[in-house]
Amino acid sequence: MRTDDLIADLSTRLERVAPSALTRMLAAAVLLGLIGSVILMLSALGLRHDFARAITSFGMWTKLVYTLTIAAIGFWLVERAGRPGADMAQPVRVLVLPVLVIVVLAAAQLLTPGADIAHLILGHSSRVCAFLVTFTALPTLAASFWALRRMAPTRLTLAGLGAGVFAGAAGAFVYSFHCTEGSAPFIGIWYSLGIVSTAAIGGILGRSLLRW
Amino acid sequence: MIAQEAQYRDWMLAALMGDAGAYRKLLEGLTRHLRSYYARRLDPAAAEDAVQETLIAVHTRRASYDPALPFTAWVYGIARYKLIDEYRRHRRRATVPLDEAADLFSHDETEETIARRDVTRLLDRLPPAKRQLVKDIKLEGVSVAEAAKRTGMSESSVKVTVHRALKSLAEDVRDGEDPNADR
Repeated sequence: MRTDDLIADLSTRLERVAPSALTRMLAAAVLLGLIGSVILMLSALGLRHDFARAITSFGMWTKLVYTLTIAAIGFWLVERAGRPGADMAQPVRVLVLPVLVIVVLAAAQLLTPGADIAHLILGHSSRVCAFLVTFTALPTLAASFWALRRMAPTRLTLAGLGAGVFAGAAGAFVYSFHCTEGSAPFIGIWYSLGIVSTAAIGGILGRSLLRW
Repeated sequence: MIAQEAQYRDWMLAALMGDAGAYRKLLEGLTRHLRSYYARRLDPAAAEDAVQETLIAVHTRRASYDPALPFTAWVYGIARYKLIDEYRRHRRRATVPLDEAADLFSHDETEETIARRDVTRLLDRLPPAKRQLVKDIKLEGVSVAEAAKRTGMSESSVKVTVHRALKSLAEDVRDGEDPNADR
């Protein structure tokens, strides 16, 4: 096909695109992914038995705020990653904030006189926590990849990492409704490790799966 | 900021609103930059394919343009992605040259056409036999041995002829016979 003909063809097929179209598509996709993660958590792991009581506890809110903040920044990362020429440095810098907060909170809890340091760090589920966070994140990771493939990622590994951060944090958020831990050191270490693992999977898969 | 930014951005914003005329101008303008961009990095057949692929990507991915960001950076991001994709497909190169958005917009086909026309006009001042030799060796990349065989001259006289021809052209240009000069 001649390039002139292509241009003529493309311009006759032009349709209006709403400025928010891309972000709406991404939001709809990750919402579906999130629903998938919730169903996976409820069916494979189950809601924590003392949920009604725990929802008001400080530990529960530490988990929810920490994971939700990172998920929001992760969403921002994915949205940037899908736009050619957009800078990802800004969301990456903001990512330091929640990490800083959890580190300070964890230090405060560890330094409290009489604290059971081993229990604060290891809880009773440290062996499975990161793995289960990543497991719960998988439907959201798949949905983020699906959405990114409809966008225009130009740095595929970076885009995959961003999708992994988002999905990992969203998975951690959903997982915190199953998990009974609530200490800041535990969350700072094992939840973060789950998010990092998901990000690593995203980065590795991004190179091949995000090509368009 | 890149000089064409404002114009292209206006066209793009109009195109996103559904203005086919502005969109056509946008695509035609981009084609000139893209042809030149890929011509300097790929072989001719692959270059035209890459131009078309990029135009199609601009079309199908146009929702990924964020009006808050420079349009030229957006197009450049896509053009570079398609270039890397082309390299990867043919496993031609492990690394991609470092360049930036300005690189895409600093050249276009028109400039190169003008340069080519200047060279042609300059060469026309040479007698036909010499002109053919300079064209063959300096522009087409024919070897001295090959040119000698074609013309029946010895290799050393081919070299001398080309050298003298270039020297006289260089003097012409220096003396203000620059084909670009406004007179």
